[in-house]
Amino acid sequence: MDYLSLNRISKSFGKEKLLDEVTLGVAQGENLVIFGPSGGGKTVLLRMIAGVETVTQGSIEVGGRDITFDPPEARGIGVALQNFALFPHMTAFDNIAAPLAARKKSQSEITDAVQKIAKLLKIAQVLHHFPKQLSNGQKQRTALARALVARPPLLLLDDPLRNVDAKLRFEMRLELPRLLREAGATVIYVTQDYREALALGDRIAILMGGKLLQIGTPRDIYEQPASIKVAQLFGDPTINIFDVTQAVRENGQDVHLTLGGGVIPLAGATAKAVRQAAHAGKKLWLGIRPEAIDFVWPGEGPGQGTGEGSGQGPGQGTNQIAHKNAVVIAAKLEAVNPLNERHVSFLTTQEGHDILCSRPADEGGDPNQLAEAAKGQVKLQFSPDKILVFGGDDGEIMAHHDDAAARDATGDATGGATRDAAMVTA
Amino acid sequence: MGGGAILRYSLHRLAILLVVVFFLFPIFWIALMSLQTNESILRIPPSMVFTPIFDNYQALITGKLITQAGSLDLPFMKNLFNSFFLSAASVAVALILGVPAAYAFARFKFRLGENIAFTLLSFRFAPPLLVLLPLSLIYQTIGLDNSYVGLIWVYQLICLPLILWVVRSYFEDISPEIEHAYRIAGHNWGQSFLRIAIPLARPGIAAAGLLAFIFAWNNFVFALILASADKQPVTVGALAFVTASGIQYGQIAAAIILSILPTLLLALYAQRYLVEGLSLGAVKG
Amino acid sequence: MRQGAAKIFGKFMPRLDTSPQTRQRPPIMQRALPYFLSLPALMVCIGILVPFFIAVSYSLMRYRLNLPHLKGFNWFANYLDFATDAAFWHTLWVSLVYAVLSVGFELLLGLGIALLLQKPTRMNNFVSIILLLPLMTAPALAALMWKLMTNPNFGILSYLVSLLGFTDFKWASDPSSALFTVLLVDIWVYTPFIMILLLAGLRALPKQPFEASALDNVPASFVFFRITLPMLMPYIITATLFRLLDSIQQFDIIYAMTQGGPGNSLVVFQVQAYLEFFQYTNVGRSAALMVILWAITYGLSHLFIKQWLRLRERASGLA
Repeated sequence: MDYLSLNRISKSFGKEKLLDEVTLGVAQGENLVIFGPSGGGKTVLLRMIAGVETVTQGSIEVGGRDITFDPPEARGIGVALQNFALFPHMTAFDNIAAPLAARKKSQSEITDAVQKIAKLLKIAQVLHHFPKQLSNGQKQRTALARALVARPPLLLLDDPLRNVDAKLRFEMRLELPRLLREAGATVIYVTQDYREALALGDRIAILMGGKLLQIGTPRDIYEQPASIKVAQLFGDPTINIFDVTQAVRENGQDVHLTLGGGVIPLAGATAKAVRQAAHAGKKLWLGIRPEAIDFVWPGEGPGQGTGEGSGQGPGQGTNQIAHKNAVVIAAKLEAVNPLNERHVSFLTTQEGHDILCSRPADEGGDPNQLAEAAKGQVKLQFSPDKILVFGGDDGEIMAHHDDAAARDATGDATGGATRDAAMVTA
Repeated sequence: MGGGAILRYSLHRLAILLVVVFFLFPIFWIALMSLQTNESILRIPPSMVFTPIFDNYQALITGKLITQAGSLDLPFMKNLFNSFFLSAASVAVALILGVPAAYAFARFKFRLGENIAFTLLSFRFAPPLLVLLPLSLIYQTIGLDNSYVGLIWVYQLICLPLILWVVRSYFEDISPEIEHAYRIAGHNWGQSFLRIAIPLARPGIAAAGLLAFIFAWNNFVFALILASADKQPVTVGALAFVTASGIQYGQIAAAIILSILPTLLLALYAQRYLVEGLSLGAVKG
Repeated sequence: MRQGAAKIFGKFMPRLDTSPQTRQRPPIMQRALPYFLSLPALMVCIGILVPFFIAVSYSLMRYRLNLPHLKGFNWFANYLDFATDAAFWHTLWVSLVYAVLSVGFELLLGLGIALLLQKPTRMNNFVSIILLLPLMTAPALAALMWKLMTNPNFGILSYLVSLLGFTDFKWASDPSSALFTVLLVDIWVYTPFIMILLLAGLRALPKQPFEASALDNVPASFVFFRITLPMLMPYIITATLFRLLDSIQQFDIIYAMTQGGPGNSLVVFQVQAYLEFFQYTNVGRSAALMVILWAITYGLSHLFIKQWLRLRERASGLA
């Protein structure tokens, strides 16, 4: 039984439909991140759950009780709004104390609880200040403290890190998961920052154009996005997408895609779906994340020659080190840009596709040197189970890997690792 | 500075001086008159040199004018009290009626609200006698003529539109999010209205209240038509006083000064908000 | 497409319930709140509208207080009488002249003073506050003040004009100078209103056009007529309409100064209606006069409210 369930929630302003039949269940104690571009309807959805926006259609249940038309004060939900919405004429203390005062707590209980949460959020020293005397970071923490102080069973956080500076955002991103765990509440967290989404969500719901596009663990969403649109929301640089409508090759039972002189074998459900789509004349796209691509580096020691350049199959060049089963393709290196701790290389394949490849700066060698030695032509490699194939006009995923599905079934033990990797990417 | 610049600067200063003299001289001159005896006022040529006396004010305040011919009753203090009472009570009523309505109009966009707001606004600009003349007949029928209640009711015509429109614009400036946050914290609508909306709109409410007080005080025609001597405010009372006291010019001047002083002081106190209030929020001062 | 995705992502996508939905409405108490809050204001509205409609009905009646038995509808007779009544046309003429002249002079003077005080120096701010005092003086009392100053026996203004050779200038007691005198009082009271609105407008104007023209040595007259004046126009129009609305209904100053006299030289609409009602006890005629004035002001107020809303929107944008 879900603790919070949204049942076909719609919201219209006049003719404009902001939310279109959103159905969503959140388990008790779960951290659900609602993620999507601005204007996607995230904030409206949150405000409807909080009770400060009316529901045009559908119903909201919390703990099995229909609260669709309950006024906000009857819902007992903790909310931190994006622009803090502190009471300008009250001190930080009184701001934080407001939910306790409303619950008719005694003065000593209020003081204790406020002091405790203020200490936890490192704002104990500014409790007597008014909001206009607080820094943005302090305001944000005050708003958060106000949402948390009454230990609400359901906590809604509307992009709380949006209006704080980069340094604080970074700190809070590390600190928030611990805080939310301590609060023990069911949390709905709205953000437009995919790193926050990956870091904080037990599950992520993708909301775009008023529609729920996908719900899943961070790992699901990152590795098996439902569509190109979803895939492009995560990662910096964003996923490489190639039109491979003309690159499908069939050989008996085998179906594969060609790219940059390499051959990408397809298996199982994907192969079947691609074959059908190709026969139906649908468009097909290949997606591969920049971090899943590596250069084929020369073996240990200097003076290694360039490869023969056939790049066929999972072939390992004589002197080059490619991973077992890796697909190797040829590409021309155009530019290398450092991005945080990574190098992002910009390459083009012989078909004229642009490829981005993102590698840790301290791993492998210098792509420029590699390219110089090979007159600009380098080899790239990636594991065939890192690819995604999308089809149709909307770019829906064709199928996802059977092995990945199997991993999902066993749980999310490794999800955290993927998450961390993705976070460092930025 | 060249000669032209100096000349222009001087002309600019001179122009400002002339403006100040034109607009302040009447107040100044009447104030001087109020401190003189009739003999001193009637001197030709007029002179600013005289020994100030406070007999005129004393006569007004004690309500008794002692002359060689005998003693005369001056009801002027009663007029002053009426002005205070009518203005203050009208503003209080207008605030009680108008602030919740202004809040409703600012927060909930609804048809009836807009209609009320615009009806009141358009009657602010309608000729007062249009409503007053039939009202005087209605009041006679229902026994409200020459009553404070009846006067306070029509004074809403002055006070309510002002409070409604000025306070509304202040409520509109408060982010609804702040009230939402207070509701979410567990307070009901009324608590949020009283502890968030009203305190945050307080400067606007105070300014609108002060202005409404000034306009109510300065009103003339309502009481002229609807009130008899014992309920008349200073504006009507002073006119009657001129007729009654005839040639007691010093006392007339003193009565005028006493009558305009409260509003002038209030105006100076609230001058920061005057522009906004006078233009019903259309121009931010 | 949705169904395909649902098949594949069965465990990720929400259950799709596709039965039709009906629009829901919140409970009645929540919807009633705004109406409940505006109820008192609504009552005041009705309190105004009732006498208003009574006034309109009186205007369609033969109704004299001294002859109550003759009371009855004569429909448009009161209005039709006006067409051939010189007194009515005189009232209309005097009202219009008064309104146009007072607002015209106040506009010129108010604009001039606003320009003089444009720079927000301490002295200018102080002067602009001081100039509010006439505006905050009750117009009826202002009329009395000027009456004292124009008294033929001891009035300082009578004395001053006598020094200029006008030894027998009668001010408000003479039909030829009565209009001038009441206009003087109107200008004294209301010029500051136009001044502060235009001053606020001037100070809210964007700075760049002026800086640019200063750099290019554009002549001051060009700057004023081509930049300042057009940009100030919304404020000028608002102030003018506002004042016209007030001025065509002027009562306090004229009544306190001359009661419409001398003779009938200053019987503007409201003064005439007052006299019709209280002196001639002709309720029907008085009401008809007020309905005509109301029609005039209603048109003006419509224009004004539109202009005012536009300015208000801009002001809240600036804030």
